[in-house]
Amino acid sequence: MIGQAAHSVAWLAKGVGVMANGFKKQSTKTARRVAVSYSYLAPTLVLMLIFLVVPIVMVIGYTFFDNVIVNKNPVFVGIKNYVSVLSDKSFWPAVGHTLYFVIISLIAHLLIGMVFALILNTRYLNYKTKALFRVLFALPWMFTASVIAIVWRMMMDPSGVLNYFLLTFHLADSKVLFLASRDLALFSVTLINIWSGYPFYMISILAGLQGVSTDLYEAAALDGANAPRTFFYITLPTIKPILVSLMMLDFIWTLQQFALIWMTTGGGPVNASEMVSTYIYKYAFTKYEYSMASTAAVILLIACTIIGIFYVRHQRSEA
Amino acid sequence: MVGKKKGYVKAIIIVILVIGTLWAGFPIFWMLDNSFKNNADIFTFPPTWFSKTFGFNAYIKIFQNPEEIRFFINSYVIAACVVVLTLFLGILAAYAFSRYDFPGKKIINTLIVSVQAVPPITLLIPYMSLIVSLKLYNTYFALIFTYLVTNLPYCILMTTGYLNTLPKALDEAVKIDGGSSWTALWKILMPTAIPGLVSVGMYTFMQAWNEYLFALSLTKTNSMRTVPVGINLLMGQHSYEWNQMMAMSVLGSIPVLLLFLFFQKYFIAGMTAGSVKS
Amino acid sequence: MRRKGFKKTMAMGLAGMMTVGLAACGGGTSESGSTQTSEAAAATEEAATEEAVSTEASSDVTLEFQQWWGVELPEGALDEICNEFTNQTGIKIETLSNPYADTKTQIAAGAAAGTMADVVGLDGSWVYDFAKQGAIANLTELMGNAGYDDSQLSDQIKFESNTYMIPVVNFAYPLYVNMDILKEAGVSEIPTTWSEFLDAAQKITDNTDAAAYFIPLNTEAPNGIQNQLSSWVWASGGNLLKDGQPNLSGNDTIAETVDLFKEMYEKGYLSPGIEALKEQDMVNEFENGRLAFMVDGISHLTTIKTESSDINFEFSTVPVKDGYTGQSGMDVANWGIGIAENCEHKEEAWQFVEYLMSPEVNAKLAQLANAFPGNSKAEPDYSSNDALFQKAYDIFQTGYAINEFTGAPTSEDLMRSFNEQFVLYIDGDVDSASSMLDAVQEAWIPAFSK
Repeated sequence: MIGQAAHSVAWLAKGVGVMANGFKKQSTKTARRVAVSYSYLAPTLVLMLIFLVVPIVMVIGYTFFDNVIVNKNPVFVGIKNYVSVLSDKSFWPAVGHTLYFVIISLIAHLLIGMVFALILNTRYLNYKTKALFRVLFALPWMFTASVIAIVWRMMMDPSGVLNYFLLTFHLADSKVLFLASRDLALFSVTLINIWSGYPFYMISILAGLQGVSTDLYEAAALDGANAPRTFFYITLPTIKPILVSLMMLDFIWTLQQFALIWMTTGGGPVNASEMVSTYIYKYAFTKYEYSMASTAAVILLIACTIIGIFYVRHQRSEA
Repeated sequence: MVGKKKGYVKAIIIVILVIGTLWAGFPIFWMLDNSFKNNADIFTFPPTWFSKTFGFNAYIKIFQNPEEIRFFINSYVIAACVVVLTLFLGILAAYAFSRYDFPGKKIINTLIVSVQAVPPITLLIPYMSLIVSLKLYNTYFALIFTYLVTNLPYCILMTTGYLNTLPKALDEAVKIDGGSSWTALWKILMPTAIPGLVSVGMYTFMQAWNEYLFALSLTKTNSMRTVPVGINLLMGQHSYEWNQMMAMSVLGSIPVLLLFLFFQKYFIAGMTAGSVKS
Repeated sequence: MRRKGFKKTMAMGLAGMMTVGLAACGGGTSESGSTQTSEAAAATEEAATEEAVSTEASSDVTLEFQQWWGVELPEGALDEICNEFTNQTGIKIETLSNPYADTKTQIAAGAAAGTMADVVGLDGSWVYDFAKQGAIANLTELMGNAGYDDSQLSDQIKFESNTYMIPVVNFAYPLYVNMDILKEAGVSEIPTTWSEFLDAAQKITDNTDAAAYFIPLNTEAPNGIQNQLSSWVWASGGNLLKDGQPNLSGNDTIAETVDLFKEMYEKGYLSPGIEALKEQDMVNEFENGRLAFMVDGISHLTTIKTESSDINFEFSTVPVKDGYTGQSGMDVANWGIGIAENCEHKEEAWQFVEYLMSPEVNAKLAQLANAFPGNSKAEPDYSSNDALFQKAYDIFQTGYAINEFTGAPTSEDLMRSFNEQFVLYIDGDVDSASSMLDAVQEAWIPAFSK
């Protein structure tokens, strides 16, 4: 193993050398700059090529064949798999649930993150109080998805602590089936996801708020602007770039959420909380239809890439 | 009049702080509380707050099990390697993006952003075959490379943004003095960029520390597994070892919490500089 | 000049970076050096051989044995059995023991990527798919090569008339009864028919805080359909399949069972929230004294005894339909064994399987696991087992073993589609049991016709 790694070190280093050498012969300044920039990029590009581009190409390849892996000699079937997935009656509900999950999560993340960040940025609190609550409010971010799923499953159990509160304070007449009811399951997993995801917004927005120049606030105060006006005319425009970046990244991350859903409801009851990610998993690992799973995955990939392109455009327009 | 308004605002703030504390803190308090209980007491209804069986049994069990200690060591080694490598490669790439113009820059940039959009579960099957054929299956390298490539894009994007905020005059000065771009990068730019790097590094550490799906699929023996997988291994076929799972979750989040406490000043400063546009 | 400097620094930097990485990673790897040497995955066969050569200077065969049994047996018991095999043959066994669910994910992923361990513990419900994928080896062939007399095996799980899995030990699924709850509810006899069961359930609901019965319906692990529902069908002599094809449409026994469960659901006899709960939650409820009856494997006997020593429980047969007098089928699960197709030492692997199936070893395994042996000549000495186990053994003798999901195609998916339709039905979205079963039949047919 180590030998192999050492070998790849040598290979990489050699690659860099060859690149630099290759470009040495052309003596124009541009060529040198190209050589230098590509040698800085080379390790990243090589790794991404091997570990990301190759598997992606393989997955795309799978989608054009009849049941790969299970069949030893898969047959080329064209776009048949795409037709089957898109016309599968359980695919579209999964898409709908995913959109609900993603959109509600995004809005709630933004609102909660914003409120907490604004509170932690007020002049009414002293430094120590702010530091304390900053850590406290960021806590949900420190846990891995499986832990979050376990804790919330425990709390949302019919005999769990949430039901105890609801019954004790007469907020409910009978035990609420957070995860077991088809009407509530999707909402419940979304709630869990909101809990686990808002701190990233809070911290990023807080960072952005601290970057807002105090001169602007002073000027606004002189003009007699009230708090909401200050917020909408000064704060919000200043941190808008951060918000847009955050939401685009979060969109992509939430769309891919799997562990949280799988470990709480498994996509059920029936298909009440089925997402595209659990749909893919079931096709691959319980139906053993890898081609269909790959096809659904590629559809998700295409959707994500479109968002990715918007993201790049946004980044560029900011730059 | 003004004082009254101030008091009103303060009241609202206090209410929000209380609600926020319950919302953010209660599930974690509950986890902590249950880690001190006996397995059978966890599901009593109505719940017990401080159980008769309060004790460190679950923690002792974990510390007595060399296998579970091993999960922690593995997670540290892997996360540390991933942070070092990601930052190193990310800085190099970001430097190229920030300081040079070269053909293909736009395409490569788009590519690097788009690959973030690839759902990891999509890649599981071909990725496993790839890891097997590279003979990396069930080694640290399998996980290190995986987390490296998945975290590189974010690292490059943030670091590029950060480097863009540093004036080009800085590296010009080095070059005028006869230094190479390499010297400019490491001697001048990097020391200035430390807060931004800390924030990226923390993010990377957390991603590597918390990942579950690939950690499970790319390893076979318990000697190669990480904390999130270890927590899941406590869900036996018969019954869950709830208290141990809770205890392990608590232990598993301590390093992340410590890092956050230690670096939070840098972290927030880094986020500001990296995400507020250049 | 400058460029040369750059090139040098760059190369050194890269090397330096890799060294940092290696130093940190290497620390961990070499630390596990001893285990690594023997464990070195089947996937890295060449590496494994190299290491074996360098450290042991012999070409001994090491087989990996991946299963969930080691976790469930008394600590160290499985390793002891495997060490005995090594003493006899010189073939080393590396046990990879993880809980059931994890083992399953690993083996499924391993089957797809060709990284399965040499010898694998199998559940009957996985066999069809792995055999079809060509991930597990044809045992009929291996038995033939070894000249093995298979008449002593109590069962073999086949795919296209060849054996791919041999059940090593079998577990029955009797009815667990919490006698304290029955007493509190005023139920004097353990119910043996459906109507007696409903009466008892009504009393339990009226007089105690406990639930009468539990069927886990979480879609992540849909085996509640197999163990907590189909077990009732089998007990009353019913079948889900006929001639290896789905037989749900117009099947009265299943329809009546489904209606019985719907009645229990509507009358509040079942624990709340079962749609999101799993088998482990059911055991939790039982251990906490909140559940009067459950159908569960006798393998859980020891755990339940130790977790909640204050609960007084009994074993009984699953209640049968009123008026049914025939023999009862009893749900069984098994620890099956198979050999990976990618195993390079199939002969040795078969030797190991033969060892585990030999009467003495098999008897010992069965005794340790609270199970029944897979070798019909094995005579386990159960005298040290719990008295309750003896009772379960007696119950088991009165009926016959059955599990129609064993060896069925995409079993877990079959259970899941049954689960989904069943939840729709008890929720009132489907108007009758027969139309629910029609829907399940429709969902099952494609899997069987492939």
